Amino acid sequence: MTDATHKSAFDAARGAGDTKKPSLIGRTLIYCGLVVVSFIMLYPLLWMVSSSLKPENEIFSTTSLIPQNFTLEAYRRGWNGLSVSFGWMFFNSLVISVLVVIGNLISCSMAAYAFTRLKFKGRGFWFALMLGTMMMPQHAVLIPQYLMFLKFGWVNTILPLVVPKFFAIDAFFIFLMVQFFRGIPRDLDEAAVMDGAGPLRIFLKIILPLSMPVLATAAVFSFIWTWDDFFAPLIYLNDIEKYTAQLGLRTFVDATAQSDWGALLAMSTLTVLPIFVLFVLFQRLLIEGIATTGMKR
Amino acid sequence: MTTLALNKIEKRYGATEVIRGVDLKIDSGEFIVFVGPSGCGKSTLLRMIAGLEPISGGELQIGGERVNHKAASERGIAMVFQSYALYPHMSVYKNMSFGLETAKMPTAEIDARVRQAAEILQITQLLDRKPKQLSGGQRQRVAIGRAIVRDPKIFLFDEPLSNLDAELRVQTRVEIAKLHADIGATMIYVTHDQVEAMTLADRIVVLRAGEIEQFGTPLEIYNKPANKFVAGFIGSPKMNFFDVTVTRQQAGTTTLGLAGTNIVVPKIDTTVDAKLCLGIRPEHITNDAKDGVALADLTVTHVEHLGGQTIVYGRMADGQSINVTLDGQRTVHPKDTLKVGATLDNCHFFDAAGQRLG
Amino acid sequence: MSVTVTSAAKAPLSERLNNQLAGYGFLLPWLIGFFVLTLGPAVSSLYFSLTDFSLMGSPNWVGTENYFRIATDDPRFWTAMNVTFTFVLLSVPLKLMFALAVAVALDKGLRGLNWFRAIFYLPSLIGGSVAIAVLWRQIFAGDGVLNQVLAALFGYEGPSWISNPSTALYTLVMLAVWQFGSSMIIFLAGLRQIPQDMYEAASIDGASRQRQFFKITLPLLTPVIFFNGVILTIEAFKAFTAAFVISDGSGGPIDSTLFYTLYLYQEAFTNFRFGYASALAWVLVVIIAIFTALSFISAKYWVHYDD
Repeated sequence: MTDATHKSAFDAARGAGDTKKPSLIGRTLIYCGLVVVSFIMLYPLLWMVSSSLKPENEIFSTTSLIPQNFTLEAYRRGWNGLSVSFGWMFFNSLVISVLVVIGNLISCSMAAYAFTRLKFKGRGFWFALMLGTMMMPQHAVLIPQYLMFLKFGWVNTILPLVVPKFFAIDAFFIFLMVQFFRGIPRDLDEAAVMDGAGPLRIFLKIILPLSMPVLATAAVFSFIWTWDDFFAPLIYLNDIEKYTAQLGLRTFVDATAQSDWGALLAMSTLTVLPIFVLFVLFQRLLIEGIATTGMKR
Repeated sequence: MTTLALNKIEKRYGATEVIRGVDLKIDSGEFIVFVGPSGCGKSTLLRMIAGLEPISGGELQIGGERVNHKAASERGIAMVFQSYALYPHMSVYKNMSFGLETAKMPTAEIDARVRQAAEILQITQLLDRKPKQLSGGQRQRVAIGRAIVRDPKIFLFDEPLSNLDAELRVQTRVEIAKLHADIGATMIYVTHDQVEAMTLADRIVVLRAGEIEQFGTPLEIYNKPANKFVAGFIGSPKMNFFDVTVTRQQAGTTTLGLAGTNIVVPKIDTTVDAKLCLGIRPEHITNDAKDGVALADLTVTHVEHLGGQTIVYGRMADGQSINVTLDGQRTVHPKDTLKVGATLDNCHFFDAAGQRLG
Repeated sequence: MSVTVTSAAKAPLSERLNNQLAGYGFLLPWLIGFFVLTLGPAVSSLYFSLTDFSLMGSPNWVGTENYFRIATDDPRFWTAMNVTFTFVLLSVPLKLMFALAVAVALDKGLRGLNWFRAIFYLPSLIGGSVAIAVLWRQIFAGDGVLNQVLAALFGYEGPSWISNPSTALYTLVMLAVWQFGSSMIIFLAGLRQIPQDMYEAASIDGASRQRQFFKITLPLLTPVIFFNGVILTIEAFKAFTAAFVISDGSGGPIDSTLFYTLYLYQEAFTNFRFGYASALAWVLVVIIAIFTALSFISAKYWVHYDD
């Protein structure tokens, strides 16, 4: 039954397309259009990858996407292009992203469970406030947060990037999980109550095991967004040994200026690669996650 | 011996009263069915007994002990849900053992209980499956198995057959009755289906709008419905109700006017000119009245031939409609006129408020 | 839901307390986060915005002076407003139109839907990263890919789009539109929820495809358009990374890509004028709030809800 809840957005109406199907000519035109748009959409990415595999002098001499002289030289130059190896910065990014995933999963699922399954005074009030924080731009709280972390001595550590996530600061994920939890039949909770389970046991043994799809979605999104994040590391991390891959890349832009495009594109490709891999692996989850938040309100 | 007692049980949501002071005493080992139209509060009442719904007023006793605020799992009850509520991510075995594990029972005893229950329900070969891999009937058994392993004093069933198809429903109904006979525990069963109520129950509780309309054995309820609502709710096709007027009160008899015909019945405690309601079940009306009362002639409007029975729909001279279920196959056509009657003990009289007279 | 309870039936204190405890126990992390990381900072930044707080000294109360200065004596604020509004008003409708058009095309029951959906979604997943900003900078540079292609196809020698103040912002708009994928997916899900029999009924009524689109698809999709529009608008107001990377944090050339958030960042973390930056932040909050409120008010007139 959980399968049904999370597949419904797309698969329920799968057969729906049939009567909408345009004529052969119409279909051909649509296909051509889609192929052209796809190519334009993908061209920058393909160009980035192919250029990173070309020798420097070939990048601008030809528009061909296939490298004539395939080389990983640009990667070697880029990897050690800064005083700290990119490998180290990738490691920093990985640590931060994994910790954020853990924090988000724990804290947001707890909040979502309280909002959907527990009865307590003020629940509606807090829920409305939670939704409100989704609208609130981070900029309004940025400076005091910064000063607070400065006072804690946390600036130039990963703590300001990680610790807030253990306090369910990403309301989006609470919202995502609330939507999913609402789809889990209440009878199951009640059966568990009859079986003598308390709120904690119901949460751990019933709700969480049944919520694997949404937990996976939240985990992948969390990871990608943290990996991609530029603003928070920019503010909080000062020393180059603490840099994330994103900060490293941006420093690399300054350091190489326009002189070594090959290395720059090689490192750009590398920073995008983990996201691309996650995208390939979890494409369906991500797309359904996006669709769900948009559709059910 | 009373095992479950409800004293003035009430349930309110804000200002809305859902259960209005229900009193009930249920003996140990009885099979009780709560029946009523949707919205009558039968499920709410069951959930209050289960401990899933807080009780707004009154007292609930199980085994003589007040349990209003006892946790559901400590009341010695088990419940089979309408949706079965099997945990989809657990095997059949785990579904049955979950409650026992929660109660921290020794593993060996859990295993013994699960296997015994599986034996009784003949689901031993399914223990490793997930609910998704089971048929509707098998899920139903697992849900019952989950209740059995807890060895409860009282079983609660919330419309457990409504998700099964017609054939399986009859079969499972028989199995539940057998289960009750075998384990002898008290069972409370909620349904809106009067056939389930009549066939399963030792005693039936007919509910309407949060109040008990009648509490009695199936035949008591069928033979002596306490009021017009119960009379109409139990029995299929529905009981005929005729508007009658009291024309004469004599020493031993009362004369009633129905569609231009006079019907003389044993004395009813009423007054001349009072408007009463005469109820007769369709299966109690015959067209070969020997003894008993003759009713006004009916003009046939429609006939249904069921093979074993013939159902005749008609109207009387004053336009009141009347349904008659005749045994066997009869040659009756629309526009025919039929002489019909019924024996006196199959006539039910209700006053203007719908309460039974006599 | 308040339940009036007669004294006889009142649950014992411990039981009622347990419910509250469980609820607040699970909510505790969020509550701490809300008070310490959201509400507290929001209140202090509101206070800072009424002071001359900077790295140099402690906050002195200046009343509404910061706001007054923003409105009357800060040309860069108005530049930032201009840039941001241009960006929002161009990128959001373009993105919506693109997303809707592609979603409708994909909803025709054609083969290969999953592939196209994935291809179109990919940019919005990676579009916010520094790598893409770097790539964009290269594409629109004087010797960039775009000019190479233009030269090869038309023999046209293009300028450096990035360092030209009159085109720099539009490269960023294009970057935003390139990321239409996630809106498209939401549209696609919305299209899938329109019951098929409505189209069947309409075609029996003789409605043409265009008419079906304008009379059925579009009205039934308005809630999704509204949702997407609001989300995209809020996102667009908060855009930062691309402008920062492409302009090296300056908002240049000559402030032509000075996004509001970029200006805010400069004031706060380059010039360390915390008081003034806080006031800028609250102005942004108010602008977004007004935009959202206006959207919701307007929604009454054009968004179609079933219930």
